[in-house]
Amino acid sequence: MAAPAEINKAEAAVTSLPGAEVLVNGIGKTFRRGGRHTVALAGASLRVRAGELVCLLGPSGCGKSTLLRIIAGALPADEGTVTVGGRPVTGPSPDRGMLFQTPMLFSWLTTRNNILFGPRAQRAAGRHERDDPELDADAAALLHRVGLTGFGDAFPHELSGGMKHRAAFARALAARPSLLLMDEPFGALDAITRERMHEFLLDIWDQHRTTILFVTHDIEEAILLGDRVAVMGGTPPGIREVIDIPLARPRHALDTDTEVFLNARRRIRASLRS
Amino acid sequence: MSVWSTLPPDEQVLTEPSEPADPIPAPDHDERAGLHAYRQARRRARTRRLGTGALGLAVLVALWQVIAMLISDPVFLPSVSQTAASFAHYLTHPYPSQGKPLWFDAAVSLRRVLIGFAAGAAIGVALGAGMSASRVVRHAIDPVIEVLRPLPPLAFIPLFIIWLGIGEMPKEVLIMIGVIPVMAVTTVAALDEVPDDLRLCARTLGASSRYTMLRVQIRSALPGILTGMRISMAGAWTSIVAAELIAATSGLGYLIMQAGDYLNTALVFSGIITIAILGLILDAFLRGLLLLADPSRRR
Repeated sequence: MAAPAEINKAEAAVTSLPGAEVLVNGIGKTFRRGGRHTVALAGASLRVRAGELVCLLGPSGCGKSTLLRIIAGALPADEGTVTVGGRPVTGPSPDRGMLFQTPMLFSWLTTRNNILFGPRAQRAAGRHERDDPELDADAAALLHRVGLTGFGDAFPHELSGGMKHRAAFARALAARPSLLLMDEPFGALDAITRERMHEFLLDIWDQHRTTILFVTHDIEEAILLGDRVAVMGGTPPGIREVIDIPLARPRHALDTDTEVFLNARRRIRASLRS
Repeated sequence: MSVWSTLPPDEQVLTEPSEPADPIPAPDHDERAGLHAYRQARRRARTRRLGTGALGLAVLVALWQVIAMLISDPVFLPSVSQTAASFAHYLTHPYPSQGKPLWFDAAVSLRRVLIGFAAGAAIGVALGAGMSASRVVRHAIDPVIEVLRPLPPLAFIPLFIIWLGIGEMPKEVLIMIGVIPVMAVTTVAALDEVPDDLRLCARTLGASSRYTMLRVQIRSALPGILTGMRISMAGAWTSIVAAELIAATSGLGYLIMQAGDYLNTALVFSGIITIAILGLILDAFLRGLLLLADPSRRR
């Protein structure tokens, strides 16, 4: 266990992650299967400022997950380009962390070793030469940050649902991404845990200022989290409108009762139906 | 088409028969009280379970003893104590018609099983990995396995004797024939089961595709492969003993046959118990590996 002073130092290092600007330019994607063509995305363009939290909102089949996977580099686009932090996306990269609907923890690794997977893999790939004590201090700081201090040696099956998501979050942060892609990460959680995870996410983001793209089909979640909400849908699917959310930060679950919130919701509903 | 189509429905479950419901849910509300207490509770539950299991075995042995005493005919059913005495004696003393002590036959059978199993598992895992990696390989091999799988390995015994003679080789090949299809099928299933997103996740954390292949995909399939080994190991014992009953001059199957011919029932039981003990030890070893590979089974 690292001493508190070390934790603070490591935490400072973890905190100073610069968010990257994301430019999505005219992305189109068509899935071909057995002679049938399905247009998943057409002419999607979006600019996300460095350190901004933007939600991609839409019904299922609107191409929001497809867009996220194209930005992640997991799926090649048919047309258009994506640049993150000035570099064009050609494949998966630790610059672009991803969080999934399920936590996707490595079941055979303890929480600490899950968190250290990224740093170790990057070291094996020659991306850095930080030594084990340094990585351990990093892991201790992240465990502390996500409130899992006593659970470094626990295996994923020994964690509750919310704890698993926080562990996955810490693991993603440990890889030091400048952009976090979140694909309906809290969709499977119960309402109360979900609300806690929202506060947790906003708190972490407030400290890290990593750029975040957050996919959801929940209007309230999108408004509560996002600086802006990109409403997706239509035929062919694309980004219909990007709506500013002028809610003050820090935000709280109770903000759902404010006039700003209700106005934003009305606008988004209208946009989804148009 | 799924390779699982080659298995009957009752074998399509890779995991052990699971317990009805987990009586101890993962720690939730009081996260500080946490892990230690949780693991202690699990350990206590495991001790209780093992205790109950030992009780079941004890009841079986007691029943055996009572029935044997009631019948009082050692040729029909020797008592537990008679069997134990016979076991202890023949373990190191040769049985007249056979010329070798029990431990020798046990070693012969064990050797055949281990060699055949190791070769079969290696080939089966390699086949499974190839089938999982390449669609062409899968489509070419799947029907071959589908044809071979339902055949009882014992049907091949005359063929192997014609082709390979009566030495050790035909017995080891027989074991291999039984092990290969099971290992190929379970390996394919275990590798297929690794979610694409788990690999993507590793890639987005900065792992190279090679690192991801070794440390995530294969690592993640390991428990499934080990479970396949447990299944095929049990099959290997069945095949070897049956083969020794029919066509061998050594091994536990041969010993049991000899003892039966001379109505030495206590020695028949000794042979059966030796098979059970060796089977248990080998399974315990694989189970130990499985627990190492899959922490969620440690409870």
